[in-house]
Amino acid sequence: MTVRCRVSGTTFATAPALLASMGWADDTGASPLVPADPRALAFLGQLSRELLRGAGRAFPELVALGFFLRPGELARVLADQTRRTADDVVRAPRGMVFHVPPANVDTIFVYSWALALLAGNLNVVRLSERTDGPAARALLQAVTDAMGDADPVIALTQRIVSYGHDDAVTAALSAACDLRVIWGGDASVERLRAFALAPRARELTFPDRFSMAVVGADGYLAMDPHERDRIAVGMFNDAYWFDQAACASPRLVVLVGAATRTAAAGDDLFARLGRVIDRKGYRVDTAMAMEKRVAAATLALDGVATHVDWRSNELVVVRVDGAPSRTHAGAGTFQLLAVSDLHDLVPLVRRRDQTLTHAGIAAAELRDLVRALNGRGVDRVVPVGQALTFASVWDGEDLLEVFARRVSVARPAVAVG
Amino acid sequence: MTATEARTLEAYFATDAFGIAQATKERLLLDDLVALTEHHRRACPPYASFVAAVHGDGAFDTIADLPALPVRSFKTHRLASIPDDEVFKTLTSSGTTGDAVSRIFLDRAAASLQTKALNHTMRAVLGRERLPMLVADSASVVKDRRTFSARGAGVVGMMPFGRDHAFALDDEMRLDQPAVRSFLERHGHKPFLVFGFTFMVWLHLYEPARAAGLDLSKGTLVHSGGWKKMVEQSVDPATFRRRLGDDTGLTRIHNFYGMVEQIGSVFLEGPEGDGTLYPPAFADVIVRDPVTWREAEVGEVGVIEVVSALPSSYPGHVLLTEDLGVVHGVDDGPHWRGKRLSVVGRVPRAEVRGCSDTFAGGR
Repeated sequence: MTVRCRVSGTTFATAPALLASMGWADDTGASPLVPADPRALAFLGQLSRELLRGAGRAFPELVALGFFLRPGELARVLADQTRRTADDVVRAPRGMVFHVPPANVDTIFVYSWALALLAGNLNVVRLSERTDGPAARALLQAVTDAMGDADPVIALTQRIVSYGHDDAVTAALSAACDLRVIWGGDASVERLRAFALAPRARELTFPDRFSMAVVGADGYLAMDPHERDRIAVGMFNDAYWFDQAACASPRLVVLVGAATRTAAAGDDLFARLGRVIDRKGYRVDTAMAMEKRVAAATLALDGVATHVDWRSNELVVVRVDGAPSRTHAGAGTFQLLAVSDLHDLVPLVRRRDQTLTHAGIAAAELRDLVRALNGRGVDRVVPVGQALTFASVWDGEDLLEVFARRVSVARPAVAVG
Repeated sequence: MTATEARTLEAYFATDAFGIAQATKERLLLDDLVALTEHHRRACPPYASFVAAVHGDGAFDTIADLPALPVRSFKTHRLASIPDDEVFKTLTSSGTTGDAVSRIFLDRAAASLQTKALNHTMRAVLGRERLPMLVADSASVVKDRRTFSARGAGVVGMMPFGRDHAFALDDEMRLDQPAVRSFLERHGHKPFLVFGFTFMVWLHLYEPARAAGLDLSKGTLVHSGGWKKMVEQSVDPATFRRRLGDDTGLTRIHNFYGMVEQIGSVFLEGPEGDGTLYPPAFADVIVRDPVTWREAEVGEVGVIEVVSALPSSYPGHVLLTEDLGVVHGVDDGPHWRGKRLSVVGRVPRAEVRGCSDTFAGGR
């Protein structure tokens, strides 16, 4: 088994050979890049342009990524960091970061890679061989093109690799890195934990999460039809870009209000969402439809579902009457819970709950809810339509900070009198 | 329930398994399947939740109205309509993928009814007498009765239809020539039964039987197991049939389709021998369009739903399989009546996207 660079096509017999080619030595190595390195900024700016103007345009998730990587956006993230930094702190790269993204959410690795690069690190991203869909290919092409235009230090220090299921490579990269980033959910985190890190190294894990949309029935019904359509489009983007499999994609819709109002709001919202699905041409194949039937049957057999509304293979609404299930088939299955008061949600929230998208609810009410939750769950509260909008603070972690070391440079104490 | 059922099933057993007209069958089946649905709702709480959620309280006007439980639910849930202390036999089967196995719970009444039903079905091709039986497998496949494989369970399920059983293969899956020759010397001049899984018959019986010049012309072959492994060998049903006929004399060949989740209901290939399967009197098939989930038109491929009046001890009377099939016609076969079905493949496993599958590709 060899390690294959997905950008250059070069192969290496072993992980140490790959690291050697990057100029990386465990103990004495220092990254040739510095935090906010102009060469890194130039590369990411070029990548942004490739995604927004080139082949990426056809894929909404690549366009979103392109927006995140715009020079102005990255400058804002960096300025924000600088503003929060005391002047007795100097940032340095951690060294080498080993990223293990999920096999099938094509773009997420770029967000963590880009921020680790901005922090000045060498990066090895391990892509699954299966990461080879149309969007992934367009993305890799954009990376290849941008690297071609970039300072050679970028291609030297930044590697996107595939190596099948060779545990020896995973072990060597884990032992060599200063920080390992695992995006794969609970099973992947457990699997990767079998490979030891160096004593100095750290790990950042993104376990399985669950997300929900909360819609105020009165607020929603008070919107004009155009605005309600906009909410439906937002729900579509939040849920369907990654077949509802992204952690931030809502799998539960909570309608808040009096029973007649929540019923009316639910009917209206799902009817509009159905039309968006048709218009966008989103389709579920027979294999996925079967998964959804099995999943719906499970929810029903377990007594979680009180009603299964099979609107189409693409839109299945499963009414629940209490705690929702957090395991889920995705691809357009929404659990639907009606509550009379937003605070009825509090006992139902769990640690693994990540993103709460909202529509038709006042900001003050949302802040009250988060205070009432007091950390029992929910890391992000964003409007419907922004579930997948990546932020450098994710799952409660400020990634740019995690990817850097803070070296404190203290002044001598001032002698008094 | 059992008493009612025994009475109504006699109505199916009174006719030939494949001699009942579709309209008559549907009339009988609808009443029984509705009664079974009500029975399982009372006896199996998870099933009651399932029906409530997917159907509600409305009436069932046609068989297609009955809620179909996915076959895979027997792998994820313990579904029984009898108390634990009445479980007489637990059947298990693994699918082709995944670790989970289906668990099917039978009480004495269900087990005996299943045997009776299979008897009635097989009589259509084997006659009333028990025939000498040659098994295209090794005796080891049925040795440990507590841990049957699906293959072992299949063989054991068929053994009561034969007598003077002989296993054609040794433990290394080689033709046991002395055993087979001895069987043919004793029984080869009169009708006998050959049973085995399709790929076992093809890989381990056909070739050596041809090489040894065995005469199987008085035999009736009953075989099962799907064509996936056969397609890998580039063998289609017609080739299978022709080569067996030409090279061993075996011409009475009946494929069958069945599953442990609806044990006792076996769809048999008709005498015309073109691969077309017929449900027996007490069972039926609905092919569903995988987009609308309504019953597909004749000639259109869809997902196979199987219904059977047998399952009384577990809620398996209306099941959505993961097989694809097509109904070619109704009551228009040359020999048998009812729906003419071909099984054309399986619904592929979905590639589930997600944050949580970094290493899923390795499974």
